[in-house]
Amino acid sequence: MQFSTLKRYATIAALALAALGTQATAHADSHAVCYNCPPEWADWGDQLKAIKNRLGIQVPPDNKNSGQSIAAMIAEKANPVTDVVYLGGISGDPARDAGILAPYKPKGWEKIPAELKDPNGYWFTIHSGTLGLFVNTAALGGKPVPQSWADLLKPEYKGMVGYLDPTSAAVGQIGVMAVNLSMGGNYDNLDPGIKFFKQLMKNQPIVPKQTSYARVISGEIPILIDYDFNAYRAQYTDKAPVRFVIPKEGTVVFPYVMALSKNGPNADNGRKILDYVLSSESQTMWGNAYLRPVFPEYLSPEAKSRFLPDSEYARAKAVDLKKLALAQPKIVERYKNEVQ
Amino acid sequence: MTLLLPAAIFFAAFFILPMCRLFLVGGSGAMGWSAYAAIVTDASYFKALLATLGVAAATTVATLVISAIAGVFLQRHRFPGKSLMVSMLTLPLAFPGVVVGFMVIMLAGRQGLIGVVSQMLGGDNLVFAYSLLGLFMGYVYFSIPRTILTVMAATEKLDPRLEEAARSLGASPWRVVCDVILPGLKPALIAAGAICFATAVGAFGTAFTLATNINVLPMVIYTEFTLSANIAMSAALSFVLGAVTWLALAVARSLTGPNVAAAG
Amino acid sequence: MKKTLFTLQFAFTLAVCAFLVVPVVLSVLAGLTANYFIGIKSGLTLRWVGEVWDGYQDTIYLSIGIALACLAVTLVLGVPAAYALARTRSRLGRLFEELLMLPIAVPGLATALGLIVTYGALGSFRTSWTFILVGHVLFTLPFMVRSVLAVLSAIDLKTLEEGAASLGATFRERFFHIVLPNCRNGILAGALMVVTLSVGEFNMTWLLHTPFTKTLPVGLADAYASLRLEIGSAYTLVFFMMIVPLLLAMQAIAAPRTRRFARDDGKLETM
Repeated sequence: MQFSTLKRYATIAALALAALGTQATAHADSHAVCYNCPPEWADWGDQLKAIKNRLGIQVPPDNKNSGQSIAAMIAEKANPVTDVVYLGGISGDPARDAGILAPYKPKGWEKIPAELKDPNGYWFTIHSGTLGLFVNTAALGGKPVPQSWADLLKPEYKGMVGYLDPTSAAVGQIGVMAVNLSMGGNYDNLDPGIKFFKQLMKNQPIVPKQTSYARVISGEIPILIDYDFNAYRAQYTDKAPVRFVIPKEGTVVFPYVMALSKNGPNADNGRKILDYVLSSESQTMWGNAYLRPVFPEYLSPEAKSRFLPDSEYARAKAVDLKKLALAQPKIVERYKNEVQ
Repeated sequence: MTLLLPAAIFFAAFFILPMCRLFLVGGSGAMGWSAYAAIVTDASYFKALLATLGVAAATTVATLVISAIAGVFLQRHRFPGKSLMVSMLTLPLAFPGVVVGFMVIMLAGRQGLIGVVSQMLGGDNLVFAYSLLGLFMGYVYFSIPRTILTVMAATEKLDPRLEEAARSLGASPWRVVCDVILPGLKPALIAAGAICFATAVGAFGTAFTLATNINVLPMVIYTEFTLSANIAMSAALSFVLGAVTWLALAVARSLTGPNVAAAG
Repeated sequence: MKKTLFTLQFAFTLAVCAFLVVPVVLSVLAGLTANYFIGIKSGLTLRWVGEVWDGYQDTIYLSIGIALACLAVTLVLGVPAAYALARTRSRLGRLFEELLMLPIAVPGLATALGLIVTYGALGSFRTSWTFILVGHVLFTLPFMVRSVLAVLSAIDLKTLEEGAASLGATFRERFFHIVLPNCRNGILAGALMVVTLSVGEFNMTWLLHTPFTKTLPVGLADAYASLRLEIGSAYTLVFFMMIVPLLLAMQAIAAPRTRRFARDDGKLETM
């Protein structure tokens, strides 16, 4: 290689490094990191845009599920990467106990019902959803839409049922508990739930680890055990041939919480974000994304009209977060050993 | 020798040191040093190890057979469209596992091509993307391009006069293949096979995308790390995994001698 | 007989090509289709490619930047190292070469984990793109070294250098005007390999990245998981557009050439 060519390559490399350098400095303006803020879940995509426009803080989306977020935060304890985290309610206490959260009571804290927040301010609910069947009716190949948990065990749905992995995703663990409670079990007795998933395993289910909204819409997973808000979004916003079904045996309403990371790099921005998600603007957005905001007055009548009738929702019971948190390790353990 | 110094320092700081740390961290968890034995003592880890080795071995065999046939053919003949074919065959060379997993879904997923064709032929909708078979197909997919290049390079170096001599002595084409071509290609096939095996054992992206009940070791390591923050166990497992792959390559090296340049 | 053999082999090779290429074509189409579930009937559009650019151009720039930086570092570290290895006959040199190949043998997961447990506590290093760069260099350095070493070993380096030295050339002059020009092809092949591998690296980068340092393959995995299939496919399409020119360039350089044999009658025969 001629020396001149070497010089040419060196210049290109130097320019590349310079470009990277400018990109780095471009991030010197306000930013923050959120773990578990997937754009296609609960419409976090629009929330992050609103946070950018309203607060001037840039937050990149992140697809970690609750379990992965907590594990990452534990691994990074010496030098935290994230500022805030979004978790399934079941993971609030375990995260607090792992020493990765810092207490913070945002504006509006007093209005949150006591059972939906940690008394010392380590986490608080921002919205809830109801678990059920997120069904792509056009991908069923002519089969009838399943109406109950038991239906999923039928051979005609072989290879069509999906659920997020209970060993890491909160929604997976909730799925196990929801089935369990509706089939006669309780927070201490997990037998009915585990038995169900053992049987379901024979029906060749698809078990992803992270949010799989796209796979339902594409027809790759025709039936997903997931929340009503994801299903309604697919049905009304993305206009996909989707229906949400609340299983006949019953189900649970499950809160999702947010928390401040301990010693996060941009803690001030983190606090601003937590203030924002309880604000009227943000809560209205959650409502329009078909979630039940923790301040129910912000659920617009228009959004509410798209939910299934209240008579269906009568079968959905609230969960006891404390008992659920205690049951979490048992769910993971038993699923790993008996089902997987 | 000072010319080696920059590379040596970089390597020592960012590979040797971390590998030593990893080894130590592996023994620092709740199980202590028996974590290193866990890969055989714990049932689910052992199953994962067998699955990993099994898929890798099957991939290596299938890839070598396919690459040998196609590679020798392409190197030996000239016909219009040959370079286009070679380009197509080496296209997936740099695909990350994610893309390959996605290709598998395109072929063998619920709306995959194979399912559509099998339905058209009157059978069931054949879906196997999410099983070990789908993983196997993905591994073969990204292994073929690398191996074919090695085979073609090695075939180029074969002396055609040996084959001509064999044919002139009355050997059938099949005998020529078995007794002249294959032995001539053996070093290259062993080297390429070892790399194929090592890559398949350590592959992560494909299994991650197909992400369901496939329990191969890289997935287990990832889950231990990201789920339970079980850093010690994942460190121990990944160290063992590294040792297994290194061993495979070392064995291949000893069988073929130090001068074989495997496909880049 | 010969004809049927040819046809069979040809058909087989064609089938293998189809196996490799058809999913790529399907993926490209999916990225350009308005609605994947309906299929091609829903029309073609560039909307998804546009959305990928809107949402993910950072990852594309970062991947290109890291690949070029990786190339620069492997050139600076690897070319001198290859030269030293070509000139030395010592056991230490052979040992070093063996060690250098280790990051290829060891799974990317393990290398990444090693880096995290050793350097993860250094906050600004952990969240910087240089953390990913280190992993990429470890993985691609062996390819650069091997490529240059192969070329240097094939030529009689010692004689060339001694010749130049006897004419009064200093070491610098010898290195830049004798050694480098002679291993030009090796450096070029190695360079293309390094850039291609860096752009496509996933196993290590998945563990090493943070939300602000996502490369293209990492963004791709995210897109497949959570966004519409069309967006994931469009993203793959962008990746193809970046990588295919590199692969074609690599093939052009490494194309096995026709061989010439001297027959007994002195005429040249080609294969």
